Amino acid sequence: MADGVQEILRVTSLSAGYGALRILHDLDLTVLAGERLGIVGLNGHGKSTLFLAIAGLTGWQRGSILLNGHEVGGTRSQGPGRYTHRVVRRGLALMPQGDEIFHGLTVEEHLDSGAFTPRAWRERKPRKARILEIFPPLAKLMAVPVGRLSGGERRMVCLGRGLMADASLFLVDEPSLGLAPKIGRSVMQALMNIELGGAAMVIAEQNVSLLEGRVDRIIGMHVGKLKGEASVSLSGAARAQG
Amino acid sequence: MENEQASARWRNPLKGWQPAREVDEVPTDPWRNPVHAPGRYTVKLFAIGRLRFFHKFRAHGKRLWHRTRYWPTRRRVLDVRGGYNPKTLAAEKTIRDKRPLYWLTAFACLLALPLAVPDSAANTLYTAAAIFGIYGAINLCWMLIIGTAGVSSLATYSVVGAAAYGSAYCSIHFGMPWWALPFIGVPIGLVFGLIIALPATRLDGFYYALLTLGLNELCRTYVLQSKVFGSATGGLYGAQSYIPDSLSADGQLLLGYYASLVLLVMALALYRTINGRRLGRILRMAPEQKEAFAEACGIDYRRARIQVFLLSSMALGFIGGFYAAHFRGASPSLFSIDTVALGLAMLMIGGMQRAEGAVLGTFIVVGLHHGLVGLGPLRLILIGVIMLAVVLFLRGGLFGIKPQFRAWRDKKKSENRSTRSVKGGEMLPEEATETFDKDEIYRRRFDKQQRDFLKTLVTAQVIEEHRRQPLGQHSEALERLLMYFRRHPQQDKYAIEVLEPFKAYRIVALSGHRGVAPHDVEEKIYASTDDAYHGVFMRRVQDLLES
Amino acid sequence: MDIGIIAVNALTLACIYGMLAIGISITWSSLGLVNLAYGFMFAFAGYGAWQINAWCSAAHLALPPVATLAIGVLCGALAGLLVCALAFIPIHDKPNFTMRGMVATIAIDLIGTQGLLWYFGPRAKSLPEIFGYWQIEYGGIVLTANTAGAIGSSILLLGAVLLWMKSSRRGLEIRAMMMNPHAASLVGIGVRRTGLYVMALTGGLAGLAAVLLSQTYYVSPFAGFTPLIKGVSIALCGGLGSVAGAVIAAVILGINEAVTAATIGGQYVLITQFALIIAIIVVRPRGIAGILDRAREA
Repeated sequence: MADGVQEILRVTSLSAGYGALRILHDLDLTVLAGERLGIVGLNGHGKSTLFLAIAGLTGWQRGSILLNGHEVGGTRSQGPGRYTHRVVRRGLALMPQGDEIFHGLTVEEHLDSGAFTPRAWRERKPRKARILEIFPPLAKLMAVPVGRLSGGERRMVCLGRGLMADASLFLVDEPSLGLAPKIGRSVMQALMNIELGGAAMVIAEQNVSLLEGRVDRIIGMHVGKLKGEASVSLSGAARAQG
Repeated sequence: MENEQASARWRNPLKGWQPAREVDEVPTDPWRNPVHAPGRYTVKLFAIGRLRFFHKFRAHGKRLWHRTRYWPTRRRVLDVRGGYNPKTLAAEKTIRDKRPLYWLTAFACLLALPLAVPDSAANTLYTAAAIFGIYGAINLCWMLIIGTAGVSSLATYSVVGAAAYGSAYCSIHFGMPWWALPFIGVPIGLVFGLIIALPATRLDGFYYALLTLGLNELCRTYVLQSKVFGSATGGLYGAQSYIPDSLSADGQLLLGYYASLVLLVMALALYRTINGRRLGRILRMAPEQKEAFAEACGIDYRRARIQVFLLSSMALGFIGGFYAAHFRGASPSLFSIDTVALGLAMLMIGGMQRAEGAVLGTFIVVGLHHGLVGLGPLRLILIGVIMLAVVLFLRGGLFGIKPQFRAWRDKKKSENRSTRSVKGGEMLPEEATETFDKDEIYRRRFDKQQRDFLKTLVTAQVIEEHRRQPLGQHSEALERLLMYFRRHPQQDKYAIEVLEPFKAYRIVALSGHRGVAPHDVEEKIYASTDDAYHGVFMRRVQDLLES
Repeated sequence: MDIGIIAVNALTLACIYGMLAIGISITWSSLGLVNLAYGFMFAFAGYGAWQINAWCSAAHLALPPVATLAIGVLCGALAGLLVCALAFIPIHDKPNFTMRGMVATIAIDLIGTQGLLWYFGPRAKSLPEIFGYWQIEYGGIVLTANTAGAIGSSILLLGAVLLWMKSSRRGLEIRAMMMNPHAASLVGIGVRRTGLYVMALTGGLAGLAAVLLSQTYYVSPFAGFTPLIKGVSIALCGGLGSVAGAVIAAVILGINEAVTAATIGGQYVLITQFALIIAIIVVRPRGIAGILDRAREA
C-alpha cells in the first residue's frame, strides 16, 4: 500500500440480504492492519449481517470483499455457508453473536478445533498457552465439556477458539451480549489486551461506552449503511502521526 | 446560441441597451442539447412491487356485497369480492380463490372417465383408478398425520393393513357382511393408532419416523410368518365384497371405481373438516420447533396432535375395512417397504400439507405404477427418479412450484437492484415502495439527471464569466446553472447578510422556517456585493459537484 | 440351553448390526441425514464383491479371500459417496432438508435396489468363503471360522474407525460437525467435504457388514432391508449420535435376538426387539445415550 499500512479487508459496494429482504445497502469499509475498529448501531441495522456477509453466510450478496488481497465476496446467491470454510482459511475468524459452541467437546478440544489451518494445528500448544494467558479462568476448565460452562466462560472459549486460528481479521459480534455488565467489561478488556500484530479486529457492539476510547476508530451503522466515522481516538491519531 | 463552431463566443444581445460596464463578449463552450446528454437514460428501471392478475367479471352494481353462503356454516361457496374499478368506476367482481373450481373440474373429469376409456384398456384403467381412489384416501389421512399433526409417522400403511387383515379375518371366520367391514376396521385402527401414538408422546421427529418404519417391518414379518393370516397363501383372502358376483365384469369394475371415488371424497371431507377447523388451526400455530412458543400461548398442542392422530387412525381403519371389502381380503404387500416408499413418493411429489398435493401425487404415482404394468421393475425406477428429482429441486412438491418460483424471483429482483451503482439522490427501490407520493420518485430521478447534465457545464470559463459579472445577462451555460440554483428550496438556501452596507457582507444559510434565524456558513467577510454574489455562486457550484 | 452358543451368536450379531448402527448414528448426527439408502449400499457392496469375484474367476485369477472383504468395503464406500453426492450435497443447505434428505435416500434405495434387481435378476448370489473352514474351541464355546472372522474383522475395523475419530484432525472435524454444523463451518470445516468422508466411512462399514452377512445369507437386492431395520433400531435404542450408546445397544439387542431365537422362536425376534426398544425409548427419549451423556443438553 502507498502509506505503508497494509489493508486487511476492503469491502466495496457490498449489498446482502435474505430472500427478498435486503439488509446491507451498498456499503464500503476498509480495515487496516493493526487496528481495532468498533461498529456501533442499534438492533437490526445490519451489524451482524455485515459480519455474516464477510463470512459468506448470508442468503445472497453482491459486491467485492477483499480479504488480504484475495477476493472472497463477489456475486453469490447460493445457500449460505457454502464457501465459509474457504473464507476462514484465508484468515478470517468470526466470533458470532450468541455462542456457537460444540456442546460435547471439552474446552481443550474446542480450542484445538479453532486451529484448523495446518500451520495453526502444528503450533496449537504454544497458542493454547497464549490463550490461557489472555483468559486465565480457562486453565482449570480444560477437560470440562463446554456444555457445562457458564455464559461468561463459554464466551471466553468462543473467543479463544477464534484466537487459535491463524487469522488476520477477527470479527467479534457483540461480545458483551447477554453477560452481566462486569463480566462483559472483563471480556471486552481481554479483547483489548490481545496483541494484534499484523492482524485487525472489528468489534460490533450496541453499547458505545464499552468501546469509547479503547478502539482506534468507531463507525456507526444505520439501516444497512455505514454512517460516518466518529471519534478517532487518541491512540489512532498517534499511530497516524508516528 | 450562435454557430456551434470551435470559436464559440457568446455575445451579449443587450449590448448597447445597457450601461457600459456590461460584458459584451465572452468565450464559452459550444451549446449542447441536454436531451441528448451522455448518460442521460442509462439508469435501468426495475419494476417495483407486484401486481397479481385477476380476471374481473362485470357485476350488477347494486348487489356487490351479496355473498352466497351454504347451510349450516357461514362459509361461502366461492371467495368473490365486489368493488368498483378505480379508473372507470364500473362495478366488477373478482374470484379471489379459484381452487373450488379446479376441484370441481377434476371431479367432473373423474366422473366422466368411463366415457373416455377404450374397451381394450378398460381392465387396467379401472383397476388403477380404483387403487387411485383408495390410496388417495389413505394419503389424505397420512397427510393429516404428517402435515397437520406434524407427527412423522411411516406406519400409516400398517394401520390400514392391520384393519384390512382384522376385518377380513372377521368376515371369513365370523361371516360378517361387507358393509360391516369398514366399521370393524375403525376400532382396529383406533387400537393400532393408540399403540403407535404411545411413543409419539415422548419421541420427536425422525426418531419416531425410524421407529414406525421398524413397526411396519414388524407387522410384515408377523403376517408373513403367521398361519392364521395366510402365510401359506400369500395373503388373507375370501372376505365378503360389496361387489356382487352377479354383476358383469365391466359392471364390477365400474362399481369398484365409483365406490373408491366416494371413499376419496369422504377422505377429502375429513381432511377439510379437521385441517380447516379448530384442530387444524391450533396445530398450525404450533409448527415444528415452535412448540414451546405455542405452549406459552396456552395451546395444548400435544393433545391436539394425538387427537388428530387418533381420528386419522380411525379413518385409516375404515379405509382398511373398505380395502378388505374391495379386494376380498388383504395382502402382505401393504406392509412392504416399497409401499411406504411409494406412499412417501406420492406425498412428496404432490407437495406436503395440502390436500391437492396428496391427490395429485397419488394420481401420478398410481398412474405410473399400475397404468404402465408392462414396464416391469423399470416403472419403480422411473417413480424413484421422479421422486428424487422432485425432492432435490422442489421445496414443496409440484404444488409448491408457484410460491417457490415467486420467492426465487423476489430474491433475484432484490439482488439485481443491489447491483445498481448509479444512485446520487435517486430513490432506492426500498424507499420508493415506501413513499406515498410516487411523483416524488420521478421528480428525484429528473433532478438527478438534470444535475448530471449541469455538472458538465461547470467550466473555468463559466466561473470566470460569473466572477466578472454576477448579475445581468449571461451565456447560455451560466444561465442554466443560475436558474437551477435559484430553484433550490428555502431550507439551507444561501443568502447574503449585510454586516455594513457597501463594506462588509457575509454568506449565511436560510433556516427555511419562519422565525428561525439563518445560520452562519463561513467566517469570510466580502467587501462588495459582487464578491458576495460570486461567493454564493462558488458554494453552490461546489455543492452541485459534490452531490 | 447352551449359554456359549447364545453368547457367540449375540456377539456376532452385535458386531455386524453395530457397524450399521454406528454408521446410521454418525450420519444422522453429523450430516443431519437419515440415511434409509442403507439397503442399497448394502446390496451394492455385496453385488460389487460378487461381480468382481465373477470377473476374476472368469479371467482365471485367484483372489485372496481378504481381497473380497476389501472389495466389499470399497464398493460400500463408493455407494456411500454416491448417496452423499445425490442426497446430501445438493440440498444440505436448503429448507426442510431433514425430510427431503430422508425421502431422497428412500428414492435412491428404490432406484438402486430395483436397478440391481433389473440388472442381476432375482436369483440370489453367494460369495466365496472368506475365512475358510476351521474352528476353535475354548471352554466349551465353539467359534467357527465365520463367527470368529466376523467378530474379529468388524471389531478391528470399528476400533480403527473409532480411534481415528478420537485422535485425528479429520475425526475432530466430524465430531465438531456432529455437535454444531454451523459453528463447524465457522472454524473452517468444509461441510460438503466432511459429508463425503462421513458417507464413505459409513458406506465402508456397511460394505463390510454386507460381505460378512453374506457368509451366512445370500447376496440379493433386498438383502439389505432387514439389516437396515436392525441397524436403525439399534441406533435409535442407543440414541442417535452416540457411538458408545450404539455399541451398548448393539450388545443388548444382540443378546435379545440370540435369547429370543433360542427360547421362543425366530419369528418373535422383531416383536421382542421392538418391545424392548419402545420400553427403553419411552423411559429415555434419547435412548441409552441420554443416560450416558449428561453434557448434551445445551
